[in-house]
This record gives sequence, structure tokens and C-alpha cells, in this order.
Amino acid sequence: MTAPDLSVKIGDLTLKNPVMTASGTFGWGVEYAMLADVSALGALVVKATTLRPRDGNKPPRVVETPAGMLNAIGLQNPGVEEVIKQKLPHLDKFNIPVIVNIAGDSVDDYVAVARRLSETGLVQALEINASCPNCEEGGMLFGLDPASLGGLVSAVRAATALPLITKLSPNVTDIVPLARAAVEAGSDALSLINTLVGIAIDVEKRRPKLGNTTGGLSGPAIRPVAVRMVWQVAAADLGVPLIGMGGIMNATDAMEFILAGANAVAIGTANFVTPDTINKVVTGLGDYCRRHKVCRLQDLVGAARP
Amino acid sequence: MQNIQAEIIRNDPELDDYSVLELHAPHVAENARPGQFVHIRLNRLQDPLLRRPISIMLAEPHSGTIRLLIKKVGRGTELLCAALEGGTIDLLGPLGNSFPLPPEGKDVLLVGGGVGVAPLIFFADVLQKTPGLRSARGLYGGANENQLAVWTELAGRCEEFYVATEDGSAGEQGLVTDLLAEQLQRGDAQAVYTCGPRPMMAKVAAMCAEASMPCYASLEQWMGCGVGACLGCVVPGTEEAYLRVCRDGPVFPAEKLDWDNVI
Repeated sequence: MTAPDLSVKIGDLTLKNPVMTASGTFGWGVEYAMLADVSALGALVVKATTLRPRDGNKPPRVVETPAGMLNAIGLQNPGVEEVIKQKLPHLDKFNIPVIVNIAGDSVDDYVAVARRLSETGLVQALEINASCPNCEEGGMLFGLDPASLGGLVSAVRAATALPLITKLSPNVTDIVPLARAAVEAGSDALSLINTLVGIAIDVEKRRPKLGNTTGGLSGPAIRPVAVRMVWQVAAADLGVPLIGMGGIMNATDAMEFILAGANAVAIGTANFVTPDTINKVVTGLGDYCRRHKVCRLQDLVGAARP
Repeated sequence: MQNIQAEIIRNDPELDDYSVLELHAPHVAENARPGQFVHIRLNRLQDPLLRRPISIMLAEPHSGTIRLLIKKVGRGTELLCAALEGGTIDLLGPLGNSFPLPPEGKDVLLVGGGVGVAPLIFFADVLQKTPGLRSARGLYGGANENQLAVWTELAGRCEEFYVATEDGSAGEQGLVTDLLAEQLQRGDAQAVYTCGPRPMMAKVAAMCAEASMPCYASLEQWMGCGVGACLGCVVPGTEEAYLRVCRDGPVFPAEKLDWDNVI
């Protein structure tokens, strides 16, 4: 049997395989260059980038929880101009599409960041972060209401010709109206899910463990929730590819998302545990196709659905 | 830096709440410098999920072994203390920066508290073995004699060595910073290197600033990736808002840290 076709299209962009990194968990890729074969990724999704530099939240910023972790980094980044100068020029050596996650405190911020990144020619797609749970002003506020999410996506859509992905928050009663609003506003694909808001308390100190009090829960603990949300959005049949993420530790976990209706997957917290998870998942998806005598992985998207 | 499977050669439970793990990890043993750490996966399951950063206590390049001092402070370190000889441990390392070597000449002071003594033992070992460098003077503090499990490892590598315990059960009664005050008065040391509880290090940093003495502190923090990517392990700085313990540290010139907010 010839090598299975793992490729997937996100807007106009064709990825050689459906494995991506989840924004914020893989830095700028270069941090992992000694521990993983970054060039084997379908696409590299780098850290959230804002118009101005952000210091991030006060520590502690991470705490372990059962089969997971809470983080409250607070979108620390050097701002879009430094990202363009210092970070993006180093990424072409991986020879894979680079996707920048963009965030802001206002629609104008998002638009400005999208426009600057689009001008550089160093970025192949943008992911709108409308779901960061760790920032007071922006991020998640846009992601909780279909009308404001639609407004944000339309504005960014008008500012860039790059394929546009919208990353959705799971911290809502029903994720489907938000998914629909993003697609109707021109999003080419959807990422789901961002982290679930949580709190952990140090009972001896009688204080929250995180400096920010709340943080975003990730890791295997959230996987069933993420798979369920992919399932729900896939059922709405919105006509755009879905990128599933939430606690994927290996190829079996990735297949859960694909069988639920995801066209692609992103690896997040697992990068901290096993730095070459991305490579193991790519290999494992190919092995799965061979074992099940499937030529195209995309033929399995949603195959668990009735 | 590599991700390796290291064989557990020995696991010595020193006292109730400490263990010394000896691992066969040639890559780490050959490349590690004092102050660096390894990032250890606790088991092959998904809970506890995250790796634990552990300072390297000693590295022996010719035997390819490293030793780690583990204090039981929670679920993860309890698992490590219970690790079986003959088994393997998945680790990333060596990670982080290291204590800057002093120039030839005057002595250096090593100020350790509790389990924080580990990287200072490695440093003292390198100082002792490096021709041309003077040996260190070690100062060590603990709550009582039971906490002084491995101070002998430091004592044997220092030219002079002093101990203080809060209850007076070993050495002088008092704090390690009392010992430091005496040493600073002697005026013949050129730098201070410290690792231990944060209140202790903050005091050491303040005393050194007062005495215009260069001071280097090794910090620990809850950590995600260990390689500088996730920005989870930061501490507040004086020049930059936040510094990564895993990549910018774990060793920092004391004046680069905002000690009032290092909690």
C-alpha cells in the first residue's frame, strides 16, 4: 500500500498532514528544535501576538491539576513589531506553514495586527484568539457572544487575504451559534476548543494557587468535553474545516477528534510532557490509515457519527 | 539538551522526607554545569501530568551518572522518592543556565537552606576540582538536625563549613543569614551563591546588596515546558517585567529580581 494521504485544506492552504501545535504551547517552534522534528508538522501555530507588548499575568502562572493543568500566562508577548523583527524570520527554516494566533483588547487592535502580519509574507494563515480566558479586557469577551464575535471576524476578514481561523471558547452554554457567527463573518476554519476556566486553591495558604486566581484548564482532563464540542459543531455542518484540540496526547486521541468531525488536530499540553508528541501523532495517524486500509485520512472525518 | 531514559542505579532514602536518586544519564553527566536542572516525567501515565524540575546535585562524567536530591513535598516528589532501582526515568536535560564561575583569587560563599543545597553541592564540587580556583566556604541552614540530611556532601567539598539550625540541634542556633553576616564582616569573599527557601534568599540578596557583594540566586518555580516556550515559570524582574526560571535562570544575579514580589 502506498503511503496514506494525510493532507488537509484550510481555506486556500494545503497542509501535508493535519497535525498542528496549539498556540502558546510550542513557543515560536525554535524552543523545541532540539527535541522534536518541527518540520514534520502540518503547520506551526505560534504564540498569541498583540499590537503592543504585553507583560502577562503575575505568577504563579501554571499549576497541575488531575490529568491536566491550569495556566494563566496572560498573552505575554513582545508585540507584533518585535514578533515580525525577532521571531518570524527564524521560522522559514522549518519549511512549513506558519500560523500566528492574534489577540487584542479591541477590534481595532486585532485588525492592526492582522494587517501588519499579512504584509510580511512570513505568515500563511491567522488564527483569531477570541477565547483567551486569562485577560480582563479582550480575548474571551469577544468569544462569548455571537454578535460581537461576528463583528470581530468580519473586521479582521476585511483586513487580510490570508486564510482565517477562529478559535472558539468552550466557556459557553452552546458553542454552535458562535461557530456559525464566525463562519458567516468569513472565517475559513474553526479551532476548538480553547481552555476551560478553572480555579485551584491552596488549602494550607487559603489562597488561589494561580496569581491570576482563574486559569485555563487543559490536558487529558478536558478531552471528552472537546470531543463533544467538535461533534456538536460538526453536526451543524457549517461547511468549513474544524481543527480539534483539547488533551490530545497521542494518535489515538487525535483519531477521536477526527472521527468526531475534526479535519485537523492541534497538540498543546502534551508538548510539555513529551516534546516529540507532534512527530508521534503524525506517524500514528499514518499507521492508523494503513491498519484500517484507508487511503485518505480525510475520508475518516466524522466517521464515528451516525 | 536531550530527552532520555535514565536508569535508576540507586535510590537512597536519606531520612523520612528526602531521597537521593542516582541515575545513569551520560549525556547529562557530560554536559551539565552547576545550577542546571533536569525535567523529570513521573510515570508513563497521564496523572500526575507535568514534569518536575529537579536540580542536579552532582554529575560524574566518567561514570555517566548524576545524583538528584529529592524532597517529598507533594504527589510528584513522593513518586520520585519511591522510584525503584533498576527502573528508568524519562528526563529532559540538562536545562537552564548555571552559576558563573568566579575568577581566581578570593573565596566564594555558598549559602544553602533545606533542599536548596543540591546545586551548591555540584558547584562546590566543580570549584574543588578546577585547578586555579579556590574552594568554597559553605553556610547551611535548616530547621533542625533532621533537615541536614546531605549537608555532609556540601561540607566535604568546602574549605570551611558552618551550620545553623533554628532549634540549635546542630551547629549554631539561629539562621543561615546570621552565619552570612559574620562572613560578610570578614570582608574576604568575592561573591555569594545561594539556593533555598525564597524568604532566606531574599534576605541573602538584601544583605549582599547592602555589602556591595555580588550575589547569584538559584530559583525554582512551578513549570510547564522547561525549555522557555510556555512562559509559565516566570518570576518578576527589575529590568524586565518577568524572567523565565527555566531558560533565563534558574540562576539570576540577585539584583535582576524584584524580591518584594518573588513569592
